[in-house]
Amino acid sequence: MLPYIARRLLYAIPTLLGVTFLVFVSVRLIPGDPAVAIAGERATPELIEQVRLELGLDQPLLTQYGRFLLGLVQGDLGTSLRTRLPVAPEVWRRLGQTLLLAAASLLLASVVGMFLGIVSATRPYSIFDNAGMVLALLGVSTPVFLLGLMLMLVFSVELPKMLQLSGPILPPTGSGTWKHLVMPAVTLGAYSTGIIARMTRSSMLDVIGHDYIRTARAKGLSERVVTYRHALRNALVPVITVQGLQFGTLLGGAVLTESVFAWPGLGRYLVDAIFLRDYPVVQAAILVIAVGFIIINLVVDLVYGLVDPRIRYG
Amino acid sequence: MVGKGRILVLAFVLGAMLLGAAPFHGVYAQTLTIVQGTDIESLDVHVVTSSPSYAVLDHIFETLFELSPEGDIIYRLATGFEVGPDGRTYIITLREGVTFADGTPFNAEAVKANLERILDPETRAAYANLISPITEINVIDDYTVELRSDEPFGPIQVHLAHSGMGMISPAVLARGNDYVAANPVGTGPFELVEWRQGEQVVLRKRADYWGEPAKLDGIVFRTIVDDGARLLELEAGTADVAIRIPPTEWQRIDANPNMKVDRTTGLRTIYLYFNVTKPPFDDARVRQAFNYAVNNDAIVTALLAGAGRPSDAPMAPAVFGYSPQTPYTYNPQRARQMLEEAGFDFSRTYTIHHPTGRYNQDALIAQAVQQNLRAIGVQTELVTMEWTTYLDFVRRPVEDNEVEIALLGWGVATMDADYALVEMFHSRQWPPAGFNLGFYHNPAVDAALDEGRFNADPEARLAAYAEAQRLIWEDAPWIFLHSELQLTGLRANIEGFVVHPTERYLAHQAEKH
Repeated sequence: MLPYIARRLLYAIPTLLGVTFLVFVSVRLIPGDPAVAIAGERATPELIEQVRLELGLDQPLLTQYGRFLLGLVQGDLGTSLRTRLPVAPEVWRRLGQTLLLAAASLLLASVVGMFLGIVSATRPYSIFDNAGMVLALLGVSTPVFLLGLMLMLVFSVELPKMLQLSGPILPPTGSGTWKHLVMPAVTLGAYSTGIIARMTRSSMLDVIGHDYIRTARAKGLSERVVTYRHALRNALVPVITVQGLQFGTLLGGAVLTESVFAWPGLGRYLVDAIFLRDYPVVQAAILVIAVGFIIINLVVDLVYGLVDPRIRYG
Repeated sequence: MVGKGRILVLAFVLGAMLLGAAPFHGVYAQTLTIVQGTDIESLDVHVVTSSPSYAVLDHIFETLFELSPEGDIIYRLATGFEVGPDGRTYIITLREGVTFADGTPFNAEAVKANLERILDPETRAAYANLISPITEINVIDDYTVELRSDEPFGPIQVHLAHSGMGMISPAVLARGNDYVAANPVGTGPFELVEWRQGEQVVLRKRADYWGEPAKLDGIVFRTIVDDGARLLELEAGTADVAIRIPPTEWQRIDANPNMKVDRTTGLRTIYLYFNVTKPPFDDARVRQAFNYAVNNDAIVTALLAGAGRPSDAPMAPAVFGYSPQTPYTYNPQRARQMLEEAGFDFSRTYTIHHPTGRYNQDALIAQAVQQNLRAIGVQTELVTMEWTTYLDFVRRPVEDNEVEIALLGWGVATMDADYALVEMFHSRQWPPAGFNLGFYHNPAVDAALDEGRFNADPEARLAAYAEAQRLIWEDAPWIFLHSELQLTGLRANIEGFVVHPTERYLAHQAEKH
């Protein structure tokens, strides 16, 4: 398996190179001059020119790209155009917060989603199935800002008022304690919960129809063992794929949740940087997200093998 | 199968990450939590450009002079100001016994180092042009500085009062721009504890502050982008002050006994400008007709819930030199008639460019204007742009400027008519040099504005600005809309928190009961 991992990591290098190049070029294709964005709306043309010189934006594109790559191999992600502070520590801090939020919401989504999926699949077209799928549909289709603000309204303002508490049950926004994590994780996880529930249900339904399930039942195994050991395990492969994809999406795609809950994640950092044309930050953030995606894909491929022994790597 | 062990490990890792990121807990007895929608841009007070940045940094840095909310000059780090007989020399005496938070003494050398840094293009100081007439900075003695300019420089004191002229410790300056960006050391009543980008800035009271010590022990400025979430923080009591609450919500908040809403006039005027080089907008009758067609009273009442003031001058009333004119009262029949007389082409569709999310309800305001114009038979198309793209687009030079009508706002941080009018209407200020984005040109207005700038006599300045405003109002290079009101939500137990017309917030003397 080790040679397999090594080979996969080697393949990642050209992918990453491609990503850096695409990001580098596309961020420069967005209309809007970073020198204007950095110097402020009231800057004089002289100031804008000065900023352009200082940022090296007057250099040929290839020179700029070369510098960026050179910095990269030295572990230097550059300096933010706006704050004049190094990008790397900020990216790592944001990555930590994003991983925390993504992991918590995916954990929640997996537990709840798979539970709903299993319940629905084992009792197809029953009231449980319908209720579960309605919940899943709600999770997929409720906009993040609505769900987030409703949760806040209930747990931070109205419920404490009703119970005559001195403070909120859960703090509306921010980060730092487990209490801060609950509402953003639920909000962010709602969509994934819906997806995972539906995927688990359909995959389980598919598996349950197979001969070996009938055989297992015929052997006199309990329904519990049949469901969890025989059906679920075989139904898991597509579910894991979805989980991996969801996790990757959560890395960069949690912007709305991060905005509503003032969660200091990577997505928000990236979007703010795009608005300000803060090239080094945009490049660094997208690069980190791309690396994250590659690692997740690798992990997902390895997990297939753990779940389904028929899958082997060579 | 996924074992329980693995879930435990994951839970453990999550827990460890949470503990690792322990936040700032209210260590101090009196900590004020302020939530605002925008983070500071940087910690370098000479470089930042936005009012949210100044709102924070004003607690760390101080300027020589300061403007009171009423627009009067307060002596902060300066104690005296004299203009020499030639009208181009300014003697500033400095406060003694002031030290920066790092122990460096504040003196004439410090002032010289700061002003020179602001004027140095490498600093990329956003407001360097405010003091660019200064040609010489001389240290007379430890506590006296002499400034010189080539021409008399009327608004020098108010320009030195701009927050971007804050004094940074010379010991910090000596270590270069990158060091300054990470080490904000000023003479103010608070000092920095930490800045977590996009999250919060934490300040604590300085024990050795030269003036009256702050009543608060600390201030936390938190960034919450979402308007609704910011309001909920205030309602939950987890924030003491919420900056820029939505106009549609302020009455409800104000009615709650636990909260109050501060409504301070702003200095920001919102307007639509015409590119007056493009027919039919080169005709003043057309521009006046558009002013009659737009119902700005209704915009203020309906879209801003009263949190604005319909314009009766091209600047807000709190600005020095403000001179009210007769408003273009909403009159669609008259507007239509004027357009017909001017031979206006009703068959064409005209374009209005506007930003979104930049000013209170900006996109909705553009839609309201579009409807008003449609009511008199003028067809317009709205084009929305993201802010940075928009700035680039509207600031193009006259030969490739595509704007017909565009929406913008202008805040007058110096509270002086020079800043309110020169960049907007002087023909020297055509883009890319300045902000006369509609290429307005009236020699009489230019003359009046020059008269106001190069004259030290306040009465003469007032007269010059009144004349300029009269002419501008008549020429109508803008559709005059309104000036914004700042809506700040506070918990009822907060006293002494000052909302400044310049969109800054002073918690220097605030306290919690």
